[in-house]
Amino acid sequence: MSCEQYDWKAYALGELTLQERREAEAHAPGCQSCREELAHVRLTVDTLAALREEEPPRRIAFVSDKVFEPRWWQVFLRPSFAAALVIAAAILMHGYLTRTSEADIQARVNDAVSKAVADVEQRNVAAINAVDGKLTSWYAQATGVVRQ
Amino acid sequence: MIFREVEDRDLVAKARKGDVEAYNLLVSRWEKRVFNYLLRLVANREDALDLSQEAFLKAYQSLPKLDDPGRFGAWLFRIAHNEAFSMLRRRKPEGELPPEKGGVSRELLPMELSLAVETALGRLSDEQREAVLLKVYQGFKFDEMAEILGCPVSTVKSRLYTALDLLKTTLAPAILRGEA
Repeated sequence: MSCEQYDWKAYALGELTLQERREAEAHAPGCQSCREELAHVRLTVDTLAALREEEPPRRIAFVSDKVFEPRWWQVFLRPSFAAALVIAAAILMHGYLTRTSEADIQARVNDAVSKAVADVEQRNVAAINAVDGKLTSWYAQATGVVRQ
Repeated sequence: MIFREVEDRDLVAKARKGDVEAYNLLVSRWEKRVFNYLLRLVANREDALDLSQEAFLKAYQSLPKLDDPGRFGAWLFRIAHNEAFSMLRRRKPEGELPPEKGGVSRELLPMELSLAVETALGRLSDEQREAVLLKVYQGFKFDEMAEILGCPVSTVKSRLYTALDLLKTTLAPAILRGEA
C-alpha cells in the first residue's frame, strides 16, 4: 500500500473502521512521513482543544416560559381544540337536520290530545255499557223472582 | 453517546406528548453546546444567544416532524446551522472575503493560546470553520455532519481537511511558543 491510502486525519478524528485502523497502525512504524503527518494532525487538533468553552450569558428560555407559548393561530392547530371543534360542529349539524317548526309541534300536540280524548271516551263507553249490562241482568232476575 | 441517544429519544417522546419538563431537560442538556457552536460561527455573544433561542423554539415547534428521535442532536444542530447561515448571509454580501480576525475580544478569552485558536478559526471561511466546530468541538461523525450541513460526506471531509491544513499553518507559531 502506498502512503496516500492512509487517511491520518480520519485516523486522528476517530473516523476509521477497526480494519482500517489496524492497517494504518501496521504501516506507521516503518514509515517516517506517515508518523510525522499523524503527529501534525494530532498537534493541531490538541491545540484546537485549548479554545475555552463559554457559558451562555443567560439561560435559554424553557417551554414553560412566555417565549415558548404558541401564537394565537397555533391554538387552532392543537389536536384537542380540533376535536372539540368537530364535536361542536356535529352537534350543530344534528340539531339543524332534525330541527322542527312550530306548526309541526302544534300538529303533533293536537294529534296527541285527540288520541288521548278518544281513548278516554272509548274507556267511558265501555264502562257505561258494562254497567248497563249488569243492570239489565239484575232487572231480569228481579222480575223473574216476582212472577214466581 | 449511546446513553445520551437513548435518553434523548425518551425525552423527545415525552415532549411530543406534551411533557413540558422533558423538553426543558433537552434544552438544559444541549444549550451550552449549541450556544458555543453558534458563538464560534457568528462571533457575537448576543447574536449567538438569540440564534440559540430561535433554534430551540423552532425545534420545539417542529418536534412532530423529527423522523428519528434518537438523532435529536444532529437535527437540532441542523436547525441551528440554518439559523446561523441565514444571519451570516444577511450580514455579508455574496463574494465578500472572510474577516481577518475572530470577533471575540481578548477580554473574553484571556488565555493566549485560546486567543490564538480563536483568531485562527476566524481566518477560516464560514463553511470550513463550521466543519471544525462540528467535528472537533461537538464530536459529530462525518455522516451526521453531512446531515446537519445538507451536503455529501465528501464535501464535509474536503472542508474539514482543508481547514485543518490551514489551521496547522496558522497555529504553528503558537504551537512552537507552547513547546518552547
